[in-house]
Parts: sequence; structure tokens; C-alpha cells
Amino acid sequence: MAEESRILTGYVSLPYKWAMGPATTRFYEEFRKKRIMGSRCGKCNRILVPARSFCSDCFVETDEWVEVSQEGSIRTWVLINFAYEGQPKEPPYILAILDLDGADVGLPHFVGGFEMKDLETVEEKVRIGGRVKAVWKENREGYILDIDYFEPID
Amino acid sequence: MAQAVAIVGTGQTECGKRSDVSYPELVHEAVTRAFEDAGIGPEDIDAVVAGSMPPAMEGVNNPHLYLAGAMGAYGKPLMRTATCGSTGISLAHTGFYHVASGMFDTVLVVGAEKMNEGDPQGTMATVADPFFQRPFLAGAPGIFSLQSNEWAHRYGIEEKRVRMAAAEISVRNHNDALRNPYAHIRIRTTIEDVLTARIIAYPVRLLDVCPASDGACAVIMASQEKAGKLGRNQAWIKGVGYCGEQAFFGEGDKVVWKSAINAAKSAYDQAGISNPLKQLDVAEVYNPFTFQEMLFYECFGFCDFGKGCELVEQGVVMPGGELPCDPSGGVLCTNPIGATGLQRVAEVVLQVTGRAGDRQVPGAKTGLAHAMGGLDQFNGIMIISNEL
Amino acid sequence: MSPRVAIVDFVQTEHGGHLHENVQELTFGVVRKLMDRVGIDRSEIGTMISSSADYWQGISCSNSYYYDSAGGNLKSGSKVGEDSVFTVIYGMMRILSGHYRTALLVAVTKCSECPSEHTLSNLCADPFFHRPVGINGVAVAGLQARQYLERHSPPTHAAAQVVVKNRSNAAKNPYAHVRSTVTVDEVLSSPTVAAPLRKLDVPVTSDGACALLLAEEGTARDLCDDPVFIEGVGWNVDRSLVGDRDLRRGSLHKASAMAYGKAGIRDPGKEIDVAEISETSSYHEILWSEGLGLCGPGEGWRLATEGLSSLEGTLPINPSGGLFGANPQVARGLVRVGEAYLQVLGEAGDHQVPNVRKALAHSVHGLGGQSHSVVILGH
Ligand SMILES: [Zn+2]
Repeated sequence: MAEESRILTGYVSLPYKWAMGPATTRFYEEFRKKRIMGSRCGKCNRILVPARSFCSDCFVETDEWVEVSQEGSIRTWVLINFAYEGQPKEPPYILAILDLDGADVGLPHFVGGFEMKDLETVEEKVRIGGRVKAVWKENREGYILDIDYFEPID
Repeated sequence: MAQAVAIVGTGQTECGKRSDVSYPELVHEAVTRAFEDAGIGPEDIDAVVAGSMPPAMEGVNNPHLYLAGAMGAYGKPLMRTATCGSTGISLAHTGFYHVASGMFDTVLVVGAEKMNEGDPQGTMATVADPFFQRPFLAGAPGIFSLQSNEWAHRYGIEEKRVRMAAAEISVRNHNDALRNPYAHIRIRTTIEDVLTARIIAYPVRLLDVCPASDGACAVIMASQEKAGKLGRNQAWIKGVGYCGEQAFFGEGDKVVWKSAINAAKSAYDQAGISNPLKQLDVAEVYNPFTFQEMLFYECFGFCDFGKGCELVEQGVVMPGGELPCDPSGGVLCTNPIGATGLQRVAEVVLQVTGRAGDRQVPGAKTGLAHAMGGLDQFNGIMIISNEL
Repeated sequence: MSPRVAIVDFVQTEHGGHLHENVQELTFGVVRKLMDRVGIDRSEIGTMISSSADYWQGISCSNSYYYDSAGGNLKSGSKVGEDSVFTVIYGMMRILSGHYRTALLVAVTKCSECPSEHTLSNLCADPFFHRPVGINGVAVAGLQARQYLERHSPPTHAAAQVVVKNRSNAAKNPYAHVRSTVTVDEVLSSPTVAAPLRKLDVPVTSDGACALLLAEEGTARDLCDDPVFIEGVGWNVDRSLVGDRDLRRGSLHKASAMAYGKAGIRDPGKEIDVAEISETSSYHEILWSEGLGLCGPGEGWRLATEGLSSLEGTLPINPSGGLFGANPQVARGLVRVGEAYLQVLGEAGDHQVPNVRKALAHSVHGLGGQSHSVVILGH
């Protein structure tokens, strides 16, 4: 028997067309207009961001759309400093979970707008509880990346 | 000993191209309907079982975790079961064992697929191993054609006769689907239409083949005690059977098809069925391809081997016959794969509880639900009755 | 008295970064060896439950490829995903139903053959909101580590100490993939990947397979001298969107409460003698230890710094080396159960913990531990 087994290299590449559904469609229409929308669950009263058609905790339809703030605080963050295939952004970048003012759940997005030389300089700029504000792209297509990043404001 | 297991609620979505909703919203629709049917809510559910086809179908990895919220599973035990085309029936089995083991009282079982979001045949082609079979067994129709040709040849069944019986099955299913509000393909066809449709993979033509559908199905199972408290619309699981075979397509006999024969035998033994044609009132046989359905009649003991065509010709498996098959229109007209096997279960439940609407088989008491998967490798059966 | 389900035997591959055998050969190898050790043939196997994942195999409907290689030909079976501890739970259910006396459990993953875990776990994120901002396994692990650091201020070397301990344990485990030791300095000076996590804070991925035979008590006693019993199982799932969750607490405490309830365990920190935890990063061992109630909230880091979780400590965690020893994505959960079994049996070899009466195995899948499973074993 061979000492090493031969390697067969192959690729599987498939196209997808994901239906957003009515709530996400509307959320991104508002997003294009630089509005971040949440939906209120009538049962637990939470404002869910991104807005969605049902509250999965209470298992009821949500009933009201409300705009939440473009500002919020950092719940937690991570500095991504390595590359992998399919990565949506060139490292280094900061991914954070943000508690936008007026929302009851966190929104994951980038924190940026400054140079990320090393962890030490980043730690001076970014901290849990730190305040951030959305920075929108000029050309928006109705997608989460219409916000380029959130920048620290304190 | 196994605890008795009841099915106390079912929920199905309308199937088809459901780009009006997201994948989670589609699942939510089926689950909400199952809760309404059972008269309970997510707070009554002790555990959740979920499954679908390969995640590559929708391009979301760990789909059960993505869909957890849509099923109301948060804070509950959730288990994924996935066995290719037989996923739906395997899900029903997993749900059954959750209750039969005595571990849980009330279990929600969910199968779903949104095939129009991905490339179904591209995904199916990756089921075959990359070393030997992937270059040849392109997609499902090729495999089933190989099987069908071998079957007809073995028993010396004249090609014209096979074609005609298959065409009758196609027409029957398309007519039945018109009476099923959840069905995907809703067109009236004639024998002529079927016989002259475009060839997909000889002898399989367009109207012999199932569609790629978006759809979800949810079923709620309960222990005898819990079902007694709910006190309505109960069906009982009388037998479960499943059998798998070799990965190499050429290795097993796909005509006297052991996985199909064994799966039915296990389920019949548990349910005390010795003469299926007499003791079953309805069968939801998994038929993604018309030809294959006749092999299943034989493997499930509805008739002798080589005699599948006769059941069609004599009307035994047709509406009003002794054992009507696929009154829902079957897989041929609706196939959101991860949900498909579970839809067979839900449809049999509706039949034996007398709630199948326009597609009701009069007086149905006991029925068979079936699904098949892998490279013609897996067969699973569930026998459901309105009596404990 | 309710019927009991026992483990008869367990077999694993020598895990590696790139095993020569294909998936069929790996599953055949572990099942053949298991049957030979127990002294049974295939006719004595009731049902076969396996675990694998299509994305982590590059073959869709992954079990169709190895169903017969894993001993399942013409048997009733199923596949559970994407955590192989579910094979234990489902196999146990099938036996408790009375339909089967034995269940063969098989798990396999060849991480060397598929895209990286970073790519594949990014596909776990929803396509509309989380995927485009790079949510994946290690990113969420970093978010959790950051929260833990801020809230509990453990000393800098605490998490590194977990890595040092597990790598040192793995060096004693002949089945481990990574068998070299590291120092705290090496961990702390390795490059950042998902800061605060550094390269050495995250286990590498592995190839591996394992098989385990379950049986109801009577059959187990016929098949082996010393059956180890499953005393409790628990599992639980958290919310789908990462932003909706409490990443510190998660759903692990619910999974462990279920398992402890069944096993009659009131004070896990005292009653559990050894734990095999799926530590998907250094901080995860700390977080999961707290979620399992092995220590109080915010105290997990002390288990490592004070030596409590070392091989010689009062509550050894991952004597096998855990995922830092071998990390075959889907198969790793069943490996934890197998290692916990060997500990109760007293046959873990050089990484045996003395006098184990109750052992815990834990597994996890999904972003940031969306799903946890827990198994308690005992004599
Ligand atoms: Zn709510």
C-alpha cells in the first residue's frame, strides 16, 4: 500500500438567491435612507434590531416598527487580524456587538475610522461601553454594509 | 417497552417558489400552524427535532441553529437529523424515539427546505463521492432511470406497458395535487402530455419528475398521557422501520431492493401487519419519479415482484381503489426535500383522522408514510393509525 | 427502576492533521476494531447512529458515503448533526424504547479535506446581517473572551495556562494529534488572530474518527466485565442571532441542569471527578467550566491558575488534552464521551485520573456555543 494517499483537488461552487422576506426587505429599504429600524414585540416589549416579522422568544408576530438611534455603545469587540477564504473584509478590522440606543438586542458590525497598528493602540481607542456612531456609505444598496462602520465618538 | 406515541398536530406551508418569505419565516409558518392544530404553544414543547437536506442546498451551515428561533426552540433541547431524501421520515423517527424512550412528553418535529434559493441539482450531485461516482451520477434523475430500466428488463415488462403505467401515475398525482392546498405543481395533465413531455434522462420525462419546491412541515408528537389531556385529533404511530445500504450504487440490488423491503418489514412487524394491501387504507409512497413508485409497491408487499404495473392497470392504487396511493399528489407534485418525508407523515395523519378535506380517502383508518434517500440507499417507513 | 444504558467499549483513531485513509476507511477501521475488541459480529449490532457534517466532508448527505463502511449495511440507522454527542443521546433513546439492545455510534471528520473552519463557520451566520460583517467561530470566541476579560479581570496568563495544561496532557495521550508542549510565554507571544485571542489560544483542526458501542444493562454485562453507565444527558439551544444572545451565559447552564437532574447531581464541583470539555478556545474552557457549574461565575480562570484542573488537581479538566490535543470538528464530541468513559473505567493510560467515579463529557456546536450537550457517566 502507498505510504501517502494521493490528493484529489475539487471545487464545489454554488450560486444562491436568498429571499429576504417582508421584514428584512422593509428594513433594508429604510436602511438605504439611513434609518435603522427595529420592531417591537407586543408580548415581551423588546425592540428587536434588525426589525423582524416575529419574536422568536414569545413566538408571536411583532406589531410595531420603530426607528432606533444611530448611536450606541460597544457590548463587546474583537480585533480580527488574520485572513481566511471567503472573508468579507481585509484584516485587520474590528468586529463588535453594538447596543444601539433604543434597541434591546445587539447588532454586530464593524468599528473603524482609525488606524489599527497593533492591539495596544486599538485598546486605547476601543473599549466595552465605549460610544459609537454609524458612518454611512455614499452609495447605498440596501444591505448591512451600507453602514461602512461605526466610529468611536468619545 | 416503547411508550405509545401520538401525533397531535400537523402544520404545512403552501409549497412552491416561496420567495415571498425568508427561510426562517417559511419555517415559522409551518410551526405556527402545527401549534394551532394541536391547540398548544411553544411553552408546551419539551424538545425539538429539526432537519433538512445538505446545508449546501440553502448555503447556510448548521441550518437547524439558524432556524432555532423560527421553531420556538430557544432554551429547549434541539437535535438535528439529516439523512438525505429520507430526512423527513428520519425526523419523524427521531421524534418518535424522543417520546417512545420515555424521555419527553411533547416533541416538535420540523422539516424544511427552500430549494429555490440554491442550486438543487448542483447540490444533489455532491452527494456522490468525488473519487468514483460524482462524474457519472449527475443528479437524481440519472440514478432513478438506471434503476427503472433494470427493473423493467429483469421482469421482461414491455417498455410501452411501463410507460403507460407511469403516465397513469403521473396523471393521478397531478389530479390529486389539485385537491391539496399545499401542493406545488397544480396543473391538469393527460396521458398524452406525459408521454410526449421532454426527456430528462431516458425514460424519465418532464412530467415523470418531481419539482424543486420551497416548503416546511411541522408535526407535534406526544406521549399517551399528554395526548389524553389534549384530547383531540389523535393519530398513533404503530410502527417504524428504516434500512440503509451500500454507498456504491452498483453494489446492491436496486430491484429486489433490500432497504425498502426491510424497512417495510420492521414497521409491519411492529404494527401487526401481515397483509398490507388489506390492512392499509392509504399509502403516501415517496415517488420523486413515477417509475420508481411501482418498485415500491413490490418491495412493500402490495403485490408480487414484477407485478407493480398491474396495481396501476387494475386501479388498486388509484382513487377509489383498494389502496389509494399518494392522494396528496405526492412527491411528484411537491418536493421541498427536507420536509417531504414529514409531509407524507402529516398527510397520513390527516387521512386517518378524517381531516384530509377534498383529498380524503373515505374511512381511512391506517396508513403508511414512506421516504427514500441517499444514492438509492435509504428507505424509511412509518405506520400510522387512528387507533391506539 | 428505569432501564439503564451502558457503554461497552470505545475506539478512536490516532488523530492527525492529515490522515491518509479516506472517510470510508476511517469509519471501517474504528468499527472493525471495536467489534474485534468486544468480540461480536455485525449481526449483534441493533442500530447504527452516526454523526458527520456535509460542509465538513465535502460530500453532501455525508452519511450516505460511509453508511456501510461504518457497519450500517442493511441495518436501521440515522445521522445526527453536527455534534456527535447526539449519537449517544439518540442511541440511548432507541435502546430505552426497547426496539434495540445495542447501538453502534460512529463519528468522523477530516478537517484537512474541507475549507477552513473560519470559512465554514462564517457560513453558519445568516446571509442578511451577520455573514457580511464576518461573524464566524473564532470572531465570536474573541467577542466572548473580551467580555470575560473586562468583567472578571483574570491575570494575563490565566487563559494561556489552560493551553499549557491541555497541551501538556495531550503529550501523554497517544491518540492526540498535537503532542508538543508549550509555555505561557509562547502562548502570549503568538500573533493575535481574534484579539484578545492569539494563535495558540485556538486549537488547530484535525482528522479523526471514533466508534462507541452502547447496550442495555443486561446485554452490556454479557459483552463486557465493567460496563460504564450513562447517568444523565442534557442539551439545549440558544437564540439564532448572535446579537440577540447573552454571550456570557448562553444555554450551557440549561443543558447541564438537565443532565445533572437526571444523574442526581447537586454539587457538580464536588461530585464530578473529571471533565472532558470541548474547549473551542482557551477562554471557552473557562466559560464552559462556569456554565457547567464546576465553579462559581467568574471563577473559571482560577481552575487553571491554581492547578485545580490539572491532571493532579482536585477537578481535572481535559486530561486527554481536549481539543488542544485533537479537534476533529464533528467527531470531537464523541471523543469526549469516549475519553470520559476510559477515565471511569480506569483505562485512560498515562493521562488517567485516579479514582474516577463520575465523569462529565461536554460538546458544543454553533457560533459561540449556540448548542451545548452534556453527558454524565458513572459506575
Ligand atoms: Zn417577545
